[in-house]
Amino acid sequence: MMITRRRVSTGLAAAAMFGALSGTALAQETVTIGWTGPLSGGAALYGKNTLSGLELAAKEINDAGGFEVGGKKYKVEVVALDDKYSPSEAAVNAKRLRSQYKAPIVFCPHSGGNFAMQAFNEQDGFIVGAYTSVPQMTERGNKLTLRIPPSFAGYIDPFIKIEMGGFGKKLGMAGADHDYAKAWAALIAPAWKAAGGTVVAENPMSYNKDTDFYSGVSRVIAASPDVMFIGGASEPTALVAKQARELGFQGGFIVMDQAKLDEMAAVLGNDMSLLEGAIGTLPLIHDSRPGAKSFVPKYRKAYNRDPGTEASLNYTTLNAVTEAMKLAGTVSDATAIHAKLSEAFGKLSPERNPSNINSVDPKGGSNAVLVVGLVKGGKVVPVDAATGTISN
Amino acid sequence: MNLSLFVQQILNGLTLGSVYALVALGLTLVYGILHIPNFSHGALFTAGAYVAFFIVGSLGANYWVGLIGAALATAAIAMLSERLVFSRLRDSPPLHDMIAAIGLLLFIEAVAHAIWGADFRRLAPPYPGIMRVAGTVLPIQRALIIAGAIGLMVALHLFLRRTVTGSTIVAMAQNREGASLVGIDLTRVSLITFAISGALAAIAAVLFAPINLISPGMGNLVILKAFVIIILGGMGSVPGAILGGMIIGFAESFGAFYISTDLKDIIAFALLVAILSLRPQGLFPAPAR
Repeated sequence: MMITRRRVSTGLAAAAMFGALSGTALAQETVTIGWTGPLSGGAALYGKNTLSGLELAAKEINDAGGFEVGGKKYKVEVVALDDKYSPSEAAVNAKRLRSQYKAPIVFCPHSGGNFAMQAFNEQDGFIVGAYTSVPQMTERGNKLTLRIPPSFAGYIDPFIKIEMGGFGKKLGMAGADHDYAKAWAALIAPAWKAAGGTVVAENPMSYNKDTDFYSGVSRVIAASPDVMFIGGASEPTALVAKQARELGFQGGFIVMDQAKLDEMAAVLGNDMSLLEGAIGTLPLIHDSRPGAKSFVPKYRKAYNRDPGTEASLNYTTLNAVTEAMKLAGTVSDATAIHAKLSEAFGKLSPERNPSNINSVDPKGGSNAVLVVGLVKGGKVVPVDAATGTISN
Repeated sequence: MNLSLFVQQILNGLTLGSVYALVALGLTLVYGILHIPNFSHGALFTAGAYVAFFIVGSLGANYWVGLIGAALATAAIAMLSERLVFSRLRDSPPLHDMIAAIGLLLFIEAVAHAIWGADFRRLAPPYPGIMRVAGTVLPIQRALIIAGAIGLMVALHLFLRRTVTGSTIVAMAQNREGASLVGIDLTRVSLITFAISGALAAIAAVLFAPINLISPGMGNLVILKAFVIIILGGMGSVPGAILGGMIIGFAESFGAFYISTDLKDIIAFALLVAILSLRPQGLFPAPAR
């Protein structure tokens, strides 16, 4: 049964390919880039943000006339399928993107979907473009994985150093109960204690189930913490921070990297003062490196809003993937493309590389640098992640 | 035990309970007409919030204009759904109503998604101030929710008990055939009931939106709880919806504070199981049909 079905689908795909080739013999050829992620439900906005980076890169590549591999010009087409944030649907989508569209790489912005794809991507011959900073993503020995953002483990030390130094030793944990937040909490609590602090309350929010956070936040505040750990999607996280302030909390916030300080401020009527003392990932619009500086106006022009790092990282990566295809001389052999990714990132000009990635380690992790920002005097100031020094 | 923190949780419970009760009230009234829980009720909650967001955020009107506009528009949507969908299914098996209601829920959600996108929207609170009494914090918006809900409940009670139109709704809920026999106009009563349920859902949403976020899926959470509440309170019972709403609201707020946010849903639903095993008919069962 399985064999027959596979034969039928191969036959159909071959027929479709033949049709496409004969129909557009003179036109350029197209490489499909797969994307599976949430386009509906609570995480839809996040999904669209990651996708927008890929689409902007694809548009620019195509507007410049495509890219050349082995003497042939190719255009890029991003095919996006909704998986509603579910790992099982992501796996089904990836199968479809590979067999129907022949995608050599499938991007996915959530750890669950990426882990699910890792079960079969080597066998099916496509690269997992993992937009997730969970450190385990590259620790499983999968040979066709590219982890795009930096592992979040690097945030822990600078966050703790600055917040403990600035506000005190008592930490209240008001994170969240989804997998990613749990992974964060599991790193931050022991590190805080190891640095000489105490954890005075642990009461994670449930962003998928709670209608209101007041009681949960007041439980954490009742333990009078100096610093609160919060995080989830930017908008509900902002509500948690606001409610903590309403309930009289005056300390600092450690903000998990899923939430962005600028997006949080937007929910609070662009009032950064409520977030005074919050440390988190540096919003892209406050990043002064040249690639980021040229990317922000381009993105604003195309989408009429501010980009986040989820857009810039995916933008950089798609540029690198097409570059790697050029270097490898193939648009279909995933292993050969994957082998050239590191070199391809290194060759990108700053305009095509707003995230400043210039290599990929042997396990498939990019060397994207962590960027940290602190809200100080009502403004976001960059912090050196390696040394924990605040620049003024 | 710290008294001000205890009072704080009472206020939180009242806030949540008020929102739940308003949504559950509309649901329980319509149950009297449809004899199924109206799944599309959660979408009316969402629709109300978006209409207010449009009137206040895009047209720049006053919050109260937004509230009234949302109540009227959502009442109109509810009446339309009665005319176009449910009245046509009156003689079909209840399963058809249920499927239609789910379809309507998905439809309204998708429309909101198509117009406003997946972004979270925010309705600015009309009175952003906070009242503080001896360590207890009460933002004015939360006080508005509590006062507004209590006011509406009293008004609804008076309407149902003291007016002829109100009595016809109660009569219909108790016995449809009997009500028709004594000359009550089925269509008119259905329309009024749907309009009230839509308006209540919209008002609950607009009162709640300033302390929360507006998104296409916002109704799903609340409607799930409203279902539990009307089962708890007794299907079709008005006092049951109010008491049930308060029980769930208080269970959530005290559970989240004294036990853990992780366990608060378990507490609320364990309470449901406990109450239903002692009183399978709910707290206030509707009179026998």
